[in-house]
Amino acid sequence: MGENLLYLLPAVPLVTALLSFVIRSYRIVEVVHVAGISGLALLSLGLVKSLLGGQTFFALDGMLYADGLTAILILLIGTVGFLSGFYSIGYMRHDLAHGEVKERDLSTYYGFYHLFLFTMILSAISNNIAILWAAVEATTLGSAFLVGFYKHKTSAEAAWKYVLICSVGLAFALYGTILTYSNAFSVVQDAHKAMLWTELIKMAHQLDPQMMKLAFVFILIGFGTKAGLVPMHTWLPDAHSEAPSPASALLSGVLLKCALFAMVRYYAIALQSVGSEFPQTLLLIFGLLSVGVAAFFILVQNDIKRKLAYSSVEHIGIIATGLGVGGPLGIFAAFLHTINHSITKSLLFCTTGNITMKYGTRDATKIRGMKKVAPLTGFLFAAGLIAVAGSPPFNIFISELMTLTAGLKSGLFWPMILLLLFLVIAFAALVILISETVLGSPPEDLPRGETNWMGLLPLGILFVFMAGLGIYLPAPLNQLLQDAVGVVLGH
Amino acid sequence: MSGTAVVNFLAVLLILTSMLVIETRRLRLAAYMYSLQSLVLVLIFLSLAIFMHAEPLYIWSFTALITKVFLVPWLIIRTLKKIGDQEGESAFKTSTTVLFAVFLVALSFAVANSFQTYAVVKVKIAMGVSIALFLLGLLCILTKKNALKQIFGYCLMENGSHLTLALLAYNAPETVEIGILTDAIFAVVIMLVIAGRLFKSFGTLDTDNYTLLKG
Repeated sequence: MGENLLYLLPAVPLVTALLSFVIRSYRIVEVVHVAGISGLALLSLGLVKSLLGGQTFFALDGMLYADGLTAILILLIGTVGFLSGFYSIGYMRHDLAHGEVKERDLSTYYGFYHLFLFTMILSAISNNIAILWAAVEATTLGSAFLVGFYKHKTSAEAAWKYVLICSVGLAFALYGTILTYSNAFSVVQDAHKAMLWTELIKMAHQLDPQMMKLAFVFILIGFGTKAGLVPMHTWLPDAHSEAPSPASALLSGVLLKCALFAMVRYYAIALQSVGSEFPQTLLLIFGLLSVGVAAFFILVQNDIKRKLAYSSVEHIGIIATGLGVGGPLGIFAAFLHTINHSITKSLLFCTTGNITMKYGTRDATKIRGMKKVAPLTGFLFAAGLIAVAGSPPFNIFISELMTLTAGLKSGLFWPMILLLLFLVIAFAALVILISETVLGSPPEDLPRGETNWMGLLPLGILFVFMAGLGIYLPAPLNQLLQDAVGVVLGH
Repeated sequence: MSGTAVVNFLAVLLILTSMLVIETRRLRLAAYMYSLQSLVLVLIFLSLAIFMHAEPLYIWSFTALITKVFLVPWLIIRTLKKIGDQEGESAFKTSTTVLFAVFLVALSFAVANSFQTYAVVKVKIAMGVSIALFLLGLLCILTKKNALKQIFGYCLMENGSHLTLALLAYNAPETVEIGILTDAIFAVVIMLVIAGRLFKSFGTLDTDNYTLLKG
């Protein structure tokens, strides 16, 4: 059962993508698209369910593999892929009606949307570290079209920076991959085994620690570039703000985590091979740096989507900090934060889609009085911002608090004080944004009313998740997170 | 000449061709230089295959011949026909770039020297060159302002990691090389498409002009 899912999961988006590319009528493509995202969501939930309790599956001669870490990513790809995919329909119809895009572009959009999902799934289920690298690089190539989707000058510029910087960054990760492989090969003398993560983790304590340190640095730079860690993050605000909003939701909500989890695989090896101090210190430094730098940039941006993009850098920083704190609690907090941020950030990016449809701009100085113009959108936007700022009663508050607690328990007093300070700055920046855009008096000539129901339903569902996880952690999810922590710590 | 000497000699040729790619101002010529460099890379794969009995590298040299000596340069030249052949300004003078390059090559050999325990000990020079090639590509991306030149930089980096892969992991399953090479080619194709769009929108390939997105 689980093994078959490992074949079906990548097959569904791949087939959907191919169909979308060849079908010309966008009405039919929409039907195919809905079938594709629904199938993917069901299969994802099926796999996650069968993985609960520390189960693992192999397929394709050990090349494909699923465990607790995979489960988290698949859960995010399935749900966010479905919800922002559903949201895409209303959003793209609006763009079509307003002449932003042509009918033909819609088929291409859905085609690349599913190709992008396919590459992310592949990165989540790869056991072969070279294929893992290739899959992460392929996510860049698959999503580059989505970043440059609109025919604006700025989209081309963003796509250029995105592909160039990420490809160059990932070239470092390739070196890390090769170094790890040759390190393992000199231990086992078996080319097939030396490429498999499940074998690497078993022989981690036999690997040459000096070489593993070097490899981990390359991996951190490489996958860190793709995950948006400072100072390799410079492409991120451009790419995430220029993409169509539902694609931004997927880029910020899910893709960053795919790269981060690729790094977590090596983090797990490094913990056993070189001890906890080296990888944790590096992650703590990059994590805190990311939170700090991003907090200031959130404050000074005018474009709401750029603010949200920097907020993603901030939250990736928090996750890295959690990993840097380490131990069962720190890693648990990091994984919970991964899920919480995905939900909240996809909600926010999709909401900005509604806002730009309504106001025709992303400039925070021009968007006023959302409360009166589109009260539901305004409410969701405000709630999302409060959540992403780390305030109760929402989900992100819980995982941030957990990260801080874990850090203090590990004796990292000053780093945690620093983290808290940065979080306060980011909080202030986001609260200012609410007071300006949601409140205030709207432009006179703007017609009142929400955009369309298709643009609100997925947001409502995401809101329920966001609020729900703020007060209650369901037992299966808790189990899932515990499993993933077990994978990293080798229990 | 012994096998290792041949490999090491060819590897040094890679450094020379890299400098030619980086410093040639006419982009079409740079594309030919890149093609030449890839040919040297193919010869290295072949000699490693013969002298070190690394059989999988026969296949690698064939795929590299098709993709890197012919396909990628052809794709680049095809794009050049649409967007012009001249490079324009560079951030540094040639002499400064060469100085940097010398420093990077020295650095690479120092790094390669630390790989004591590995099979590469015999072809340490080639190992040093592979790292140098990677860094020279990075240097090209950082110091050149022309978008096409930056694509060349990426190609050099890619040749560098391809050689490292051949030295350290030639015995890896074939799927590995296919996966990595496919990505590399698609990356170049996509970069070329975007560069074409940039030229259309901005009327130039000078990346200093792409400043609409700031902060």
